[in-house]
Amino acid sequence: MVLDFLQGLSEIEIAGSLTLLSLLIGGIIMAVGIILAKTVRLLFTKYYAPKLSQDTAKNFGKLIYFGIIIISFLVFTSSTGVDLSGLLVAGGIFGIVIGFATQSVVSNLISGVFLMVEKPARQGDSIELPSLNISGTLLDIGTFSVRIRLFDGTIIRVPNESIFTSTIRSLTSTQVRRSECLVGIAYKEDIDAAISVIKKEIRKTMSFVLTLPKPEFRIKELADSSVNIEVLVWHPREDWGEVSPKLLKVVKKALDDNGIEIPFPQRVIWDAKK
Amino acid sequence: MSAETSESKFSNYGLYTIGDNLELSLPNTEIRIEQMGPNVFSYIRNNSESDLVKKIIPVKSNELTIEISPIRPLNYPAKRTSYVYLELETPVFLSENSAATIFARCPIEIGVFLIHDGHKDSLDCFTCDPTNSRFALYGAPDSGTLCKYAQSEIVESYEDSTPYINAVLEIHLQNELDDGRSISKIIFPISDNSVYYKNSKAIIDSIEAVLKKKLTLQIFDVSKKSIQTDWTLSPSYERELIVKRIDMGVD
Repeated sequence: MVLDFLQGLSEIEIAGSLTLLSLLIGGIIMAVGIILAKTVRLLFTKYYAPKLSQDTAKNFGKLIYFGIIIISFLVFTSSTGVDLSGLLVAGGIFGIVIGFATQSVVSNLISGVFLMVEKPARQGDSIELPSLNISGTLLDIGTFSVRIRLFDGTIIRVPNESIFTSTIRSLTSTQVRRSECLVGIAYKEDIDAAISVIKKEIRKTMSFVLTLPKPEFRIKELADSSVNIEVLVWHPREDWGEVSPKLLKVVKKALDDNGIEIPFPQRVIWDAKK
Repeated sequence: MSAETSESKFSNYGLYTIGDNLELSLPNTEIRIEQMGPNVFSYIRNNSESDLVKKIIPVKSNELTIEISPIRPLNYPAKRTSYVYLELETPVFLSENSAATIFARCPIEIGVFLIHDGHKDSLDCFTCDPTNSRFALYGAPDSGTLCKYAQSEIVESYEDSTPYINAVLEIHLQNELDDGRSISKIIFPISDNSVYYKNSKAIIDSIEAVLKKKLTLQIFDVSKKSIQTDWTLSPSYERELIVKRIDMGVD
């Protein structure tokens, strides 16, 4: 009875040599392919992915999944006897139109492939894109776009092409980072004494500031109202939040505690008649 | 070493069994453990900067057993590295093909461990010398190694450790080069070295530091050497990690 049913299906032609039976077999092949792709990706994620870096594991997972799906599709077309060459020729002109329309999509796709190969930053890295005014943690390099979690907690999606053509500043590729601040002291104050008290306060209160390289002090400018001193300190890359936002406060406290004046803008008016 | 009780005044590292309450006094730090109710204790630690740590500890019995011991100096202000950078206050000069053994101070932190069912769980850790617990970078900013930094004084023997502040480790220095060299700093992964204690003193596994040639480079090869001692072995506070050794350059 089943054989009769299948025989019946094989006699119903849809187009050319494509019968309902071959379409059914093709459907089964595709379904098995999808299930197999999902299973293999699941096994890969469970047993092999933990040994690889996060982004490599994700890319391999995608490659395995879509690789099996494409193979299944090719088996499906060959089993049903569908000849795709005619479709390709017929779609030639249409393809050019589609090509122009999907230019940015293809560009993003290719940029994504290059980003995965070049790896300018890894998943979890803190990065800054100065030209796009974006700073945050890289979450994922996808097929068409990159997701970045900004430091305010929101997530932004940036097309791969924009990332690929942008300057990328990695904030976490080295173990240490430097933070700076600028402070002005009055002209009457002793510069060495000011530097000494700032140095002591940093040493006493900022536990994440590195002892070596030592904090650096540069006389940045003999400005209109003050002598400007630039304070540069190194710290572990993870502890930017413990140092950079607090540095100026610590410097001010050191100067205040020691009676060193941070002057307001001043103008000396000279009266020529006197 | 077991100090039963309520009236114990802290004086040494070791095991403490608390029935009712216990107050321990360390340099710049005070610890108070009190029974809050049946099978529940509170743990309070404060320091001279008024930082307060409070924890509630449910236990199976009416007693609480803890161990106070010296641990590797890797956790304060945060766990960022497994390396220690010891800058010798007085550099040691080794002439060609010579060797020497010195004892040097190395900072420690204090670990508090909860003991139950034969396990030692890390309950708390702190330093009694927070102003000297700092990081340093060995090497260039783009490729250097982040280390915990300490200025190290050369001392006479294991008995010269400062209670709760530092331990003493033995350093075997050897110069296999053809000329004399001064040794002023030693960088090594301290996660391999065990810490031991007796009363309020602490010692750390020895290290061997050899100035030698590796192909065309002159390097300072530092490796751990376990010691045989009757002092008590401190539990490990941090999770054990495999740490890659680095070759120090010769100045």
